Amino acid sequence: MSGYWRSPRLWVHLLVLRPLLRFVFGVTVVGKENLRDLDRFVLIANHNSHLDVLLLYTIVPVPYLVRTSAVVARDYFARFPRLVKVLEYLFRPVWVDRVQQDTDPVSEIIGRLDAGENIIIFPEGTRGDPGRLQEFKTGIGRVLAARREVPVVPVHLFGPERSFPRAAPVPLPLWNHVTVGPPQLVHGERHEITATLQQAITDIERTVSAGRHRRTERPRRTRLVAVLGIDGSGKSTLSRRVAEAVSVRGRVGWVGDTLTLFEGGAPQDLQPLQTERLREWMGQQAKQAKSLAHYKIPKLTELLLRDRVVEETRRWYAPVLTVTDGSPLLNMTAWAVLYREEHFTEEFCGRAVAIMSSRGERLGARDPLLKQFPELRVLLRLGLNRLSLPDAVLFLDVPPAVALDRIASRGERQQVHETEEKLTKLADAYRLLCRVLVEQYGVPTLRLDGRRPLEDVVAETIAFVAAAEGDG
Amino acid sequence: MQPELPLPTVLLIALGVLTVGLGAWALLRRDRPAAPWLRYLWTFLAVLNVAAWWSFVAAVWLLALFSFRTLREYFSLVDIRLEDRWGILGAYLSIPFMTILIQVDWYGFFIVSIPVYAFIIVPFLVVLGGREARGTVLSIGAIDFGLFLFVYCMGHLGYLLLFRVTWATLFIGGVALANAVEALVVGDRPITVRRGVGMLAIAVPITMAGAVAVQPYTEFALGHSLGIGALIPTLVLAGSYTVTAIERDLGIAPDALAPGRGQVIHGTRAYLFAAPIVFHYIRYFLEE
Repeated sequence: MSGYWRSPRLWVHLLVLRPLLRFVFGVTVVGKENLRDLDRFVLIANHNSHLDVLLLYTIVPVPYLVRTSAVVARDYFARFPRLVKVLEYLFRPVWVDRVQQDTDPVSEIIGRLDAGENIIIFPEGTRGDPGRLQEFKTGIGRVLAARREVPVVPVHLFGPERSFPRAAPVPLPLWNHVTVGPPQLVHGERHEITATLQQAITDIERTVSAGRHRRTERPRRTRLVAVLGIDGSGKSTLSRRVAEAVSVRGRVGWVGDTLTLFEGGAPQDLQPLQTERLREWMGQQAKQAKSLAHYKIPKLTELLLRDRVVEETRRWYAPVLTVTDGSPLLNMTAWAVLYREEHFTEEFCGRAVAIMSSRGERLGARDPLLKQFPELRVLLRLGLNRLSLPDAVLFLDVPPAVALDRIASRGERQQVHETEEKLTKLADAYRLLCRVLVEQYGVPTLRLDGRRPLEDVVAETIAFVAAAEGDG
Repeated sequence: MQPELPLPTVLLIALGVLTVGLGAWALLRRDRPAAPWLRYLWTFLAVLNVAAWWSFVAAVWLLALFSFRTLREYFSLVDIRLEDRWGILGAYLSIPFMTILIQVDWYGFFIVSIPVYAFIIVPFLVVLGGREARGTVLSIGAIDFGLFLFVYCMGHLGYLLLFRVTWATLFIGGVALANAVEALVVGDRPITVRRGVGMLAIAVPITMAGAVAVQPYTEFALGHSLGIGALIPTLVLAGSYTVTAIERDLGIAPDALAPGRGQVIHGTRAYLFAAPIVFHYIRYFLEE
């Protein structure tokens, strides 16, 4: 054993190559314990760079270092005879000639394994495209099918494809991550072996490269789903549950009494939006109002702010879906219908929606619509006519009497507008709106019976949202 | 009047006690790993002690190595194109370029070295290396910003060291205090208005009192001691707040920090904003 430590090759590795790699490039090794106590092994790794083989030598345990050889392509290095000598010294490679194919590397590899050596091999054969795993060559399968008792250790290299990619003339100091998978014994015939090992490295790759910084993400249209319903219909609960359930597929924003971002079925921390704070405060003011006159202005402001919050959520957090409790555009239209029901027909309703969401509708100074809906003038003057039209609408239909019971059972103070007469009218207005949305805007709309158990309603809603997504 | 023990030694003793205390606490509560900001505090303390006991030149080059480490981590995480490689090489090379200017105390050139020369040369190199124009603007922005934050801002600490080691020590100590308060008040949660204000309300009086307490060492006037005491935590908070967003974009997870995966950036983020501003405050008002 003392002769082993006298090998200069060992010290070149330990004192020159390893420190150089660590100091210039930086190396993190995860799972080094997977190489411990193995008598012999075959290391396989993805291949993207000349650094790969150096990195793999840094993880080989010291007692095995001299007894380890790498499989290297001779046809590539044949152009640099001096480099071949250096490689010959450092790695005692098994040369593979991909052009002449005069030797049989597989039998040589098997011979070295039988002599008690370890082998480092890149089953892809070439360096390939940066960061993309290529189809494995079958050589690895042939070797292992012949020596099934030798454990294979899959290793994933992350970083060399950036620090020294194929197309680059010089390496750059950039960090490298080496992830060592658990050793495994192979089963089956060659092709199965090759496929299993490729899967093993792909699996590591998936966990390692998650969350990688990508400068330009695919532009994504984030969809907006609004849940309508009279107070006490349970739309807040429903929309929250839907947001929670859909968020297993990706990030979902929920705008209800508060703004919450769901990911993986759980609420996430988020940097607060100032608009949202203002809106919450406004909402409280509206809830505490004692008369309708005191209610209207805070509620209107709250609705307009809510629309801003929806827009900001979609812009800053880019969720796959935003679910809102109510929709400022539709709520305001519904209230207008409620107060002036004698004028409001489907046509008027459609035009009001078009104007408030800036959909190309023009409004003359003496338009009859302005007479019936004078608030529009104010909205237009303030430039508040860019409210967002939802991509899908759910209407949770509950008889007003039931809704009032629910409000009472919640123990909340009854808000000023919450009377049976008003709520009935409001529900009618929402029904009218839903018709308009389907007929004039092609917005998919679903009417749900709010008296059914919540689970059923949630399930139906999720199916509907998924179907609506499929359309777009 | 010069006190008997040099300030870095006093600070080192104090921090030794603090670290042993924290270490004992961490041993008791194994589920919580040591704070990342504490790890790099030791690096800065080593630099300070090298400057105090041995050689300013060695300290500045140690700091340069540390800048390299931070910049390398940043470039390892940010999405780069193949065309940007020469620009990145130029960015790395501007570290020794700037460090030599600190070493020879050439202030006029140091202060323009990166914002003028490197910021002209790096884009030139990026475009020179490019076959594809698309993405040039974002690449230049990403490289220049990294260079600015992790080299230029850090370089000001080196120059502060050149002015006087005690001033650099005051700065490092102030940032460490602010950092400790931030770790207690904010932790890994997002920085909200309430937490930010809470952090300042605790940290500002502490750093102010600290700056006044070390007045015999720094020889600052009372007003300036208070000013710097207020400045440091504010800038630490602003720096942390900004770098948090950068970390998120780069995919750095605060609960899975590792070298090459954001550990260095996360551990030094508090120093980056504070160093240049505190440096210029001292240079403008106090350095004779």
